[in-house]
Amino acid sequence: MIDPVCGMEVDNKSKFKTLYKGKVYYFCSENCLNLFKKDPEKYLREGPKGM
Amino acid sequence: MDKQKTNGEDKLRIKKEQQIKVIGMHCATCVSTVTKAVTKVNGVEDAKVNLATGDARIFGSNLKLKEIVKSIRNSGYDVATQKLVGKININPEEVSKLKNYVESIDGVIEANISANGLIKVEYNPLALSLNDIITKIKEKGYNVNIIEKEIKVEELEKKEFYNMLYRLIAGIIFSALTIYLEFTGFSLFALLSSIPVFFYSGYNYHKGAIRAIRNRTGNMDVLVSLSSSIAFFYSIYATIVGIPTIIDVTVLLITFVLVGKTLEAYFRYKLSLSIKGNVNAKVRKIINNEEKIVDVSEVNVGDIIVLKNGDQIHVDGIIDEGVVEVNESVITGEPLPIKKGKGDALISGSTIVSGYAKLYVTRSGENAYISQVAKSIREAQAIKVPIQNFVDKVSSIFVPIILIVSLFSFLIWHFILGKSVFEALLFSIAVLASACPCALGLATPMAVVAMINKAVKKGIIIRNGEILGNLKNVDTIVFDLTGTLTEGKISIKSYKEFRKDALKYAASVESLSNHPIAKAISELSKEKVNVDEFEEFIGEGVYGRIKDDIIIIGKKEFIKQNCELKDKENEDGDIFICINNEISGIINIEDKVKDGVYNLLNKLKSQGIKVIIATGKDKVEGFNDIEIHNGLKPEDKVELIRELKNEKHYVAFVGDGINDSQALSEANIGIALNSGSDLAKVAGDVVLNDINSIPELFSISNKLESKIKQNLAWAFGYNSVLVPVSAGILYPLVYLPPQFAALAMSMSSVIVSMWSYV
Repeated sequence: MIDPVCGMEVDNKSKFKTLYKGKVYYFCSENCLNLFKKDPEKYLREGPKGM
Repeated sequence: MDKQKTNGEDKLRIKKEQQIKVIGMHCATCVSTVTKAVTKVNGVEDAKVNLATGDARIFGSNLKLKEIVKSIRNSGYDVATQKLVGKININPEEVSKLKNYVESIDGVIEANISANGLIKVEYNPLALSLNDIITKIKEKGYNVNIIEKEIKVEELEKKEFYNMLYRLIAGIIFSALTIYLEFTGFSLFALLSSIPVFFYSGYNYHKGAIRAIRNRTGNMDVLVSLSSSIAFFYSIYATIVGIPTIIDVTVLLITFVLVGKTLEAYFRYKLSLSIKGNVNAKVRKIINNEEKIVDVSEVNVGDIIVLKNGDQIHVDGIIDEGVVEVNESVITGEPLPIKKGKGDALISGSTIVSGYAKLYVTRSGENAYISQVAKSIREAQAIKVPIQNFVDKVSSIFVPIILIVSLFSFLIWHFILGKSVFEALLFSIAVLASACPCALGLATPMAVVAMINKAVKKGIIIRNGEILGNLKNVDTIVFDLTGTLTEGKISIKSYKEFRKDALKYAASVESLSNHPIAKAISELSKEKVNVDEFEEFIGEGVYGRIKDDIIIIGKKEFIKQNCELKDKENEDGDIFICINNEISGIINIEDKVKDGVYNLLNKLKSQGIKVIIATGKDKVEGFNDIEIHNGLKPEDKVELIRELKNEKHYVAFVGDGINDSQALSEANIGIALNSGSDLAKVAGDVVLNDINSIPELFSISNKLESKIKQNLAWAFGYNSVLVPVSAGILYPLVYLPPQFAALAMSMSSVIVSMWSYV
């Protein structure tokens, strides 16, 4: 599974996750999660940016 | 200050500055949190908080340090303070005046003074020194003796009770011996064996009598001390000249009255019993980047601890990382968990419902919120001034009458009827002996003990016997809402199902969550299906997959992001169920009002009692025609009760939570529920199994009152016959020598004791 913000590999046990449009997204950190929550469409449209 | 001077001298004159030291700040956001907490207090105009030193300089007029410290502590940080603990000689009625004076001293945060003279002053060491305070108090005429080690109230009460008990045991043993020796003719030995009873067991009465006489009042102590002293000194004289003694009067009198007093001391001791602390609690502390399980006592300010699902929080702090849902009924009484993230304060006593967080500790041990609450309850109990009981009031009339009758019988027999001094004295002692208020002293405590035992069988635990007599004075009852009038847990109010099996699916998914709402929903369907995938989103909702169906359950906002609302756009509801991108069900939840509560409130109102609901919740529905105070913090509840008391209401408070415990101890009568927290039970005067037993409690109080009256009627009936007879009104037809007068009097004690248990 890929963090949609930074592109890092994450597993589905990650504490950082959200549900958007019925789909679960996992993140590597609280920071990525918060970025995604602010503008999910942007990251889904543009893909991971890498850090 | 320098900056201010340049702004103009005028400002300096009206403005005041206070400097305090804040503990627990470790980041820039901490500074803004603390600054905000300080500036929102009335009277504060500006605050400058320094992260590096922890110093906070506060400017304003009419600064209330107590409020400022409270506000900082509520925001999760602490203030460095010092404490003065000492003993002063003070009369109960002067307590509140001195407390107000001490609290008005610049730099004093809070002062507590108990009726027995224990004084505790919390002060700001940057503004005041210990000696400053002592000097200021001395100016008012009180000497403070500093106690190095803090004395706990329960230890004082325990000491008092055991003190009484030892005196009583000595009284019983030596009284038995004295009476045996007296009636077998060994007058001298009887006299010797009565010495411990007269001086040791009777010590408090003699002391009390001297104090009462000094204050020009008459209480039971005077009668007990006077009667026992006269009989004691007469017996010494009688032994010397070889006539019958009346030493039994002395020992029986003291012992019987002690029984009652020891019982009272026992109740007070039980009431003050210490509140269980967090001594044995374990927490996960981070040491060298590793999680280690340690005792909570090993956690200090600045440590980081880890909190997970279901953990109870034992220290206060600020979340450093992570998101949790926390049940904060401790502070708000609200049963629904609240979502908290980085920078938010977590307060001890609350519980983590879900999530994970690292907590930066800002207060631990004695300074943690929960320990502070426990402490303030103990102090409140110590401050409660015991109401002068009925017997003392009666005695203040009864004692002078008896003394006058006794004096007159001497004067009349000696000067008018020509008896010798010795013979006339016998009459006057007989009057004192027969009037001795043994039965009066026993009437109340005996009846109270009997009634408390009966109440326990009805699920009513009375922790403070004194309140039984005062229940009839209650004209206002303040109820907490959540957990007291309501069940205190979430239940389903109503639901709509737009698709077959929607509830079954929802119940199956929710059964995997610990959230209180999830638990209620999972009970909607007994039949469950296997959930293949499950995710929980803190503070939002859950996601589940059952075979090919995707189920999302949560608040409308959460569902909106994940599901098309379509024609359900305008539907209202607490919880929405979305299956495969379609709204399939809507659930409304409530905290159900307990059975019988409406009847109970109406019944109380019809009896002319003012009923008030005081709750931390913002919205209250369903209680028409009842005065409701909502959005209250624990200290607001205390304030409400204080105001009612100031308006001369006699207030009972009914509650269950830790957040109610201060209100419980502030009220004239605190009624706690057995289902509630331990702290509330300790703070309550009464503990009920069922809120609907309140009318039963009142009826027990009424029964007790009539029982006490009957007991007093026995005692007085006895007196009104015995006193004239002892004074020699029927002489020489009936003559009652002092020792028989005393024996007759003791019989009334036995009758009273037995009647109490009928």
